[in-house]
Amino acid sequence: MSDDDIAKAVRTWAEQHHLDRAHLEQWLALDADSAASVLDAASRLRLRVGQLQGALGMLEEIALVERTQVSAVLARAPLKRILEGVGPAPARARAFVDELRAMRFPRLGHALEQMKAEVVALKLPRMLAVGLPKDLGSDELRIEIRVRSGTEFRESLRALAERAEGVERILDLLGGKNFSQ
Amino acid sequence: MNFELDEIVIEERCRQSALAARVISRAPAAVPVNFTADARDAVRPAIGAADPFGAGKRRMVVMHRRAPFLMACPAGSSEFACCGYLVLVLASNCPMDCSYCFLQEYLADNPGFQVYANYADAFAELERTLRRTPGRALRVGTGELADSLAFDRMTGISRELVEFCALREGLLLELKTKTDEIDNLLTVDSRGRTLVSWTLSPPQVFSSSEKRTASPAARLAAARRVLDAGYKVGFHLDPVIAYPGAERDYLALLDDLFDTISPARIAFISLGGLRMTPTLRTAARRRHPHDPLLCGEEVLAPDGRYRTFTPLRASLLRALERRIAAASPAIMRYLCMEPPSIHRRVLGHAPAPAAALGAALAER
Repeated sequence: MSDDDIAKAVRTWAEQHHLDRAHLEQWLALDADSAASVLDAASRLRLRVGQLQGALGMLEEIALVERTQVSAVLARAPLKRILEGVGPAPARARAFVDELRAMRFPRLGHALEQMKAEVVALKLPRMLAVGLPKDLGSDELRIEIRVRSGTEFRESLRALAERAEGVERILDLLGGKNFSQ
Repeated sequence: MNFELDEIVIEERCRQSALAARVISRAPAAVPVNFTADARDAVRPAIGAADPFGAGKRRMVVMHRRAPFLMACPAGSSEFACCGYLVLVLASNCPMDCSYCFLQEYLADNPGFQVYANYADAFAELERTLRRTPGRALRVGTGELADSLAFDRMTGISRELVEFCALREGLLLELKTKTDEIDNLLTVDSRGRTLVSWTLSPPQVFSSSEKRTASPAARLAAARRVLDAGYKVGFHLDPVIAYPGAERDYLALLDDLFDTISPARIAFISLGGLRMTPTLRTAARRRHPHDPLLCGEEVLAPDGRYRTFTPLRASLLRALERRIAAASPAIMRYLCMEPPSIHRRVLGHAPAPAAALGAALAER
């Protein structure tokens, strides 16, 4: 495909999906290989407009940070597996965006995994839930108690007290203690 | 340091001022000097410019300040740990161009580089404030809406300001800069009542994000010289940018600092993580599309700003705090625009009230 053909195909996709002008311009500003790779991904995974907008931003940022091209990012094994894989397109599209996010925020992803594992290790009874702050944007832990009787309430407090050390460990992790950079 | 100017605009009512005379006499010959009846129009964004904010930096406007010169620091908020800094506005905008700078949002509607010809009124205002608050130590700085020393070679304001403050008890002037433009300072005796502070960044941040600033080594060398000339010195590691390898680089920067200046002679070191409102982030990325440090692992924090996700930010700030404390526990440390919980996690105690911290810093 020539550069003109790629630009034409991108414009057609944008028109069919009502993509806004700013994101269309962002897409067209990519080098031709990259623009074509994004188009290929959008077609294979049947990306929704919101997914494409998010993916474009993350792809550009990953490429900038790693001093490479968007097409090179899209050629990486984890993304290629998703792009060339089988299964329903919506599920693959979600996996694609998740994978991009993991690439864009590698240390955040690692920290989240570690903390989610700590939450699972608490083995909380059904009446208790521990919620991590969105994207670890703060150091505040949300602890939810759902009970229907005084007995359940007392039980939940006892269960929580038994897990105090584990909860403190999560709070320490949220505050950056033992965080490996 | 030589900063490029496209134009100098002088407000008619300031034509005879000492500042206008100095600026005209010291301006490069190639820079046109124009006069205008009301300079408020000249500071507005240039219509049709691809980068109106950047264009504003290259248009020096010598004008009369209509508003008060003293204001509370715009970064101050009850939400955050705050140092109680009082801002003396003698200029607005900055010829340097840091990609993360909050002025890109704060001065978006008035980007012209303003210097105020009636700055003597600021001295009178300071005098009145000191009289109203007898016995209270005040820390006043000129480096919030502008770099305190950029263009000082042309304006020469720093000398008068340092001399004014040298005679006032209970007043500490802070000149905050990323330049090495200290020649004027070396010709006056501050009597220990002026503190010069530098924002310090590792070489990677300097080369990626701090256009037209002095190099980290030049800043440290300048700090050494003003210290030897009787000034106090302080340092701001702010913003701390959490790129991969940042901890190693910032710790090396601190080692360089302590090798150059004895920790015992440092008045304070402030720390603060990178933070950007969504508007600032958009403006910064539009103006600096090739700066990878603007694409770190920032997430939307509860205060509506993008900040490095908490465990990483807190861990990095704590590592720096430990290194500073190890060098000398006597160095005063504080955090800028960080919530109290991060203050406790990094410094081990709740933040002092702004006024108390401001007074303590003023008495250093």
